[in-house]
Amino acid sequence: MPVTETKPNRQLNLLVASVPTPSVKACCQTGTGTGAGPDAPAVALVGAPNTGKSTLFNALTGSRVTMGNWPGTTVEVSRGVWKTTRDAATCDCEDCTCDESDQKLDITLVDLPGAYSLDPHSPDETLTRELLVGVPADERPDLCIVVCDAARLANSLYLVSQLRELGLRLVVALTMLDVAAKNGVSVDTAALSKALGCPVVGIDPRRRSGLEGLAGTVRETLGTPAPAPRPMAAELDSLELDDDRFSWIAQAVEVGTKAPADPQHTWSDKVDRWVTAPVLGPAIFLGVMWLVFQITTAVAAPLQDFLDGLFTGPLTDGALWLFAQLGLTGTWLEGLVVNGIIAGVGMLLTFVPLMTLMFVLLALLEDSGYLARAAVVTDRLMRAIGLPGRAFLPLIVGFGCNVPAISATRILPSSRQRILTALLVPFTSCTARLTVFVMLGSVFFGPYAGTAVFAMYVISILLVVFTGLILRRTLWRTMGAEPLIIDLPAYQRPTLRLTASVTWVRLKGFLQTAAGVIVITVCAVWLLQSIPTQPGERFGDVPVADSVYGVAAQAVAPVFGPAGFGSWETTSTLVVGFVAKEAVISSWAQTYAVEEPEDSAAPGDLGDAVLASFTESSGGHPVPAALAFMIFLLAYTPCVATVAAQWREIGGRWTLFGIGLQLAIAWGLAVVVFQVGSLFL
Amino acid sequence: MYVGIDLGSAPLHTSLTLVGAPDGSRQRLSCLGLRVGSTFSLLSRTAGGGRVAMVSGSRIALGSSLIKELRAEVVA
Repeated sequence: MPVTETKPNRQLNLLVASVPTPSVKACCQTGTGTGAGPDAPAVALVGAPNTGKSTLFNALTGSRVTMGNWPGTTVEVSRGVWKTTRDAATCDCEDCTCDESDQKLDITLVDLPGAYSLDPHSPDETLTRELLVGVPADERPDLCIVVCDAARLANSLYLVSQLRELGLRLVVALTMLDVAAKNGVSVDTAALSKALGCPVVGIDPRRRSGLEGLAGTVRETLGTPAPAPRPMAAELDSLELDDDRFSWIAQAVEVGTKAPADPQHTWSDKVDRWVTAPVLGPAIFLGVMWLVFQITTAVAAPLQDFLDGLFTGPLTDGALWLFAQLGLTGTWLEGLVVNGIIAGVGMLLTFVPLMTLMFVLLALLEDSGYLARAAVVTDRLMRAIGLPGRAFLPLIVGFGCNVPAISATRILPSSRQRILTALLVPFTSCTARLTVFVMLGSVFFGPYAGTAVFAMYVISILLVVFTGLILRRTLWRTMGAEPLIIDLPAYQRPTLRLTASVTWVRLKGFLQTAAGVIVITVCAVWLLQSIPTQPGERFGDVPVADSVYGVAAQAVAPVFGPAGFGSWETTSTLVVGFVAKEAVISSWAQTYAVEEPEDSAAPGDLGDAVLASFTESSGGHPVPAALAFMIFLLAYTPCVATVAAQWREIGGRWTLFGIGLQLAIAWGLAVVVFQVGSLFL
Repeated sequence: MYVGIDLGSAPLHTSLTLVGAPDGSRQRLSCLGLRVGSTFSLLSRTAGGGRVAMVSGSRIALGSSLIKELRAEVVA
């Protein structure tokens, strides 16, 4: 089908409502020159996935967006201000009278999702089409920079051929020239430019070279009228049109490049022979995943403990000392600061080492090109639950911690796949839940504690698989099961700058979203535990049972009666567990007024108290009640930090849906397990 | 009616010409340079039964379900 205008999708159009109309003048006196306001020219960055488009956006704007050496990394529209300058010596105005301010031009740069063509195969490609074709002509960008991979030039030019049919101002930015040269391919940019009918500039966004030349070319092109659309025969069916485009591409490649008759086998091919091989490939993948898992848990743990100790130790002690000096000991203000703000910020910051390591590893895997291979290796396995192979990574990471796992869903190119995976991640049993399982296993299952804990991991995997299958066949039934077609990028050495900037932007994004959710939730729990319900009790100095929190737990407790753990002491730990699973045991200790055990495998007095509570609430069936509780703990909302990460990645609506889904599944399973289990145990 | 052999049966490291592709994947493959009439070769088998194809300098991983539907002829 020819590229034609379509009715704009209003939902998508919201994202680009402010794309400005052209406002360009000849030469360097272009635009307002006073910042990328509504009158500034708008330039769109487009191109096939994995051509370096987002890296170029980052280099041009100085802002940070998601980027990496993996197809489909850019999945959202990013905007930035591209501050261009032109040396007066290079100004080609006739009788130039431009002053310094005239020679500056701020451009609104829009980074569109990667697309091979304007015929979309995914929601992200649909968005790119909408922004370029679906909007009225006067809302289209003033110019498109099409980022093309010189090493795979023919694959990048289909989009150029379609854009040339629209009559847009185009500049082709050629990346990967070094890779092309290694493959024996040389590019004649002047000849290519003539064949394509638009300027062609060679750049290296990873090393930030060639960017001044690109700026100059873009400014010059902005000062020229939009070119006429590429001439084509009027009556072409879709096959003939494709033939016409590919002929045009082949002609351009022929005159613009020189390549060896037989394409050379590269060292990437040699590596791929092992890395994607039938037996060795999965083994290497599992090894890489093991390493990721180890680093994100074992290496991060001491750093987390240090930060946790810092906040619960010196910082808390210091705050208490300060309040004592001010005569405010035992006041609500002390409670708010110590148990709310310091505890909340402390919890947030303990995630920083973990998230940083996770994001560094993700960036390295993306930038090196390995992630594309991992997707190939795991594709068949993940397709069993309707997900692409690349979804394996976040699900594996989830067994360490759900929070970075949710963020890792960014590697998925389709927003629908991302949402589905983010909804499944909370069912993976994180290490925080493990401590509770170990304690309950020791109390209720004695010598079979290990088996009980192992069973939780098996159930966790089954929950992921079956929930995935159910969602895939209901809400996600229209999600296409496209066959695996992945453009494998050449392996490359990750750069420190790219890894650092990707890590920083992701960490910053997490902290911006999670900070509010975590601190507010921790403060809210403190507040509920501080408000008395009985006359004569003071705010901030109230037994848990008499607080609003305790009363609410007592009100909710009967809901868990059919699951065998309908006591308020147990129910209240579930509320604390929503804040952080690590706090479940300490909450029990606080409720039963016993010492928190040093080792969760030897629970001592706390174990006796919990056993007595479960025995009473289950009517003499403590084992199935404990099993039901463990399953509920496994399946319901992992923690507030996970919710915060979900909120950032998939939005509030889907996050709330996920919470509801998890609670429904958790409660349903717990009831079934207790009701059936109490018949036998 | 396609002729030739499916890619699952096609030899590795041999020049092939694509003679048939399923409608749903044809355009995506075309954008990556693999279109009916183009010459390519298969570099390796992948885990899960797919293949890595070399097409005009690019490497494209093709899933097992797709390679059974792609038809090619060995270039003489």
